[in-house]
Amino acid sequence: MTDATPSRTHATPRLAPSRAQVRGAIGIAVVFIAWQISVWIIALPAYFYPAPADVAAAFVDLTLKGILPSYIIDSARRYALGVATGLTLGVMSGLLIGLSRFWSRLLGPVINFFYAIVEVAWIPLLVIWIGYGFNTILIAISYVVFFPVLYNTLTGVQTAQKTLINAVRTLGASRLQVLTSVILPSALPNIITGFRVGAGFAFRGLIFAEMIAAGSGLGFLIFDGATTRQTDRVVVGMIMTGVLWLAMDRLFLRPLEMATIERWGLVRAKGGGV
Amino acid sequence: MTAIREPKISIDGVTLVHVNEERRQEHVALENVSLDIGEGEFLCVVGPSGCGKSTLLSAIAGFMKPWTGEIRMNGKAIEGPGADRGVVFQEYALLPWKTVLGNVAIGLKYRRVPKAERERLAREYLAMARLTDAADRFPHELSGGMRQRVAVARTLANTPEIMMMDEPFAAVDAQTRLTLQEELLRVWDEHPITVLFVTHSVEEAVFLADRVAVLTPGPGRLREIVDIGIPREIRQWDSISTDARFLELRDHVMKLVRDPGR
Repeated sequence: MTDATPSRTHATPRLAPSRAQVRGAIGIAVVFIAWQISVWIIALPAYFYPAPADVAAAFVDLTLKGILPSYIIDSARRYALGVATGLTLGVMSGLLIGLSRFWSRLLGPVINFFYAIVEVAWIPLLVIWIGYGFNTILIAISYVVFFPVLYNTLTGVQTAQKTLINAVRTLGASRLQVLTSVILPSALPNIITGFRVGAGFAFRGLIFAEMIAAGSGLGFLIFDGATTRQTDRVVVGMIMTGVLWLAMDRLFLRPLEMATIERWGLVRAKGGGV
Repeated sequence: MTAIREPKISIDGVTLVHVNEERRQEHVALENVSLDIGEGEFLCVVGPSGCGKSTLLSAIAGFMKPWTGEIRMNGKAIEGPGADRGVVFQEYALLPWKTVLGNVAIGLKYRRVPKAERERLAREYLAMARLTDAADRFPHELSGGMRQRVAVARTLANTPEIMMMDEPFAAVDAQTRLTLQEELLRVWDEHPITVLFVTHSVEEAVFLADRVAVLTPGPGRLREIVDIGIPREIRQWDSISTDARFLELRDHVMKLVRDPGR
């Protein structure tokens, strides 16, 4: 492949909805129609099995009262801070373990052990130690993000090409410059992958933690709605979690992944610089 | 033709050993080699695979320490890798996420040359390597030959005292290789610099070098140093490939490589 000069691939501009987007919208519409039909067939009281119209009414009600916006803001803030904390700690630990044999041997087994303990198992203990609220949720979310980010960073660091490191050293790079100009960029696609996996786990973790340890947020809305038999609110909470995840995935995570793949992945697939 | 001027690099009784710590194995790559590289000289090291020629290069680059003996540059023992000894690798070793311009400027960036200044210098060296139009492209968009020209430009832009090249043209096709060899001599003519060029190709070595050092395999020892007294003016493949001196020297070196003797 030495003399091929491939042109860069460009993503198609997304002004008009693509065929895939149209089909995705049809899929969602079918779910709503099936839901409405099932309501007609099952015919239970609305507090037990709400119809789309009931849920829409609850949505408008919660929005006008300002409950839903404030809950979404609370959830989003916990989520963003938790993910950012987990990401930072995960990347830093991944670099430390990936670059130092000493730290790798010291921390490797410990981290492996804690990886096996799901975050859900920590929440009761955290509630006892720290209490309900923001800090407990923050720790639970960071915890789930931490591990996939750490392991993927580690893989990224270990796959950084030795030749590239040697090359920049002969160009005068200091240790820190080797880290910032070769090792981190080499590991970036892996870090992004870890981030995306962690972000997904964290979203589930958030809802669960809010059910147990919060007095606001979407998880609380679902849990509180169920205990007070406001099932329409429960469904509003559920739909909102799905919508928020979809929006974040489409608007942030996927473009981020695509951008790195476009610049890094193509090159890697062809075998690094060779 | 070239008597040794001031030695730029002195290799003095050097034995190089690969140590595999995990398996507790040692492998002698090079044994008791003494060799000087003169200031401004173009020295080629040839030998079959396994003669330790690349190991010698990485020791001069500072990636490994001699088991015995000493390697000095300008009279000072080499302590580790440094920007004064540039290396061009067979596998190019360009940063895939940086443009051609970014790659060529990176050594200057490490030394904190201001952005405008390092881009100006980088473009100068790109022009020298006839890569001006490729400045904003990424390495994976270039052919192997172009990538290696970027690597040479990157090394020279960093103004090292010696440029070491480790089988740099082994991964490109035969046609491109001939062009790159001629290009290298043209560039070397414009930017005189001490060059250590490691290759397994006898023709390549004789074509390029002031002197050719022949190593014997397993463990590598210095067999002979051959002076290549062919004038620089006729070092183009069209004229040299029928030149009697070239053919004679090539056969002589070939014989040394193929029949290690003793």
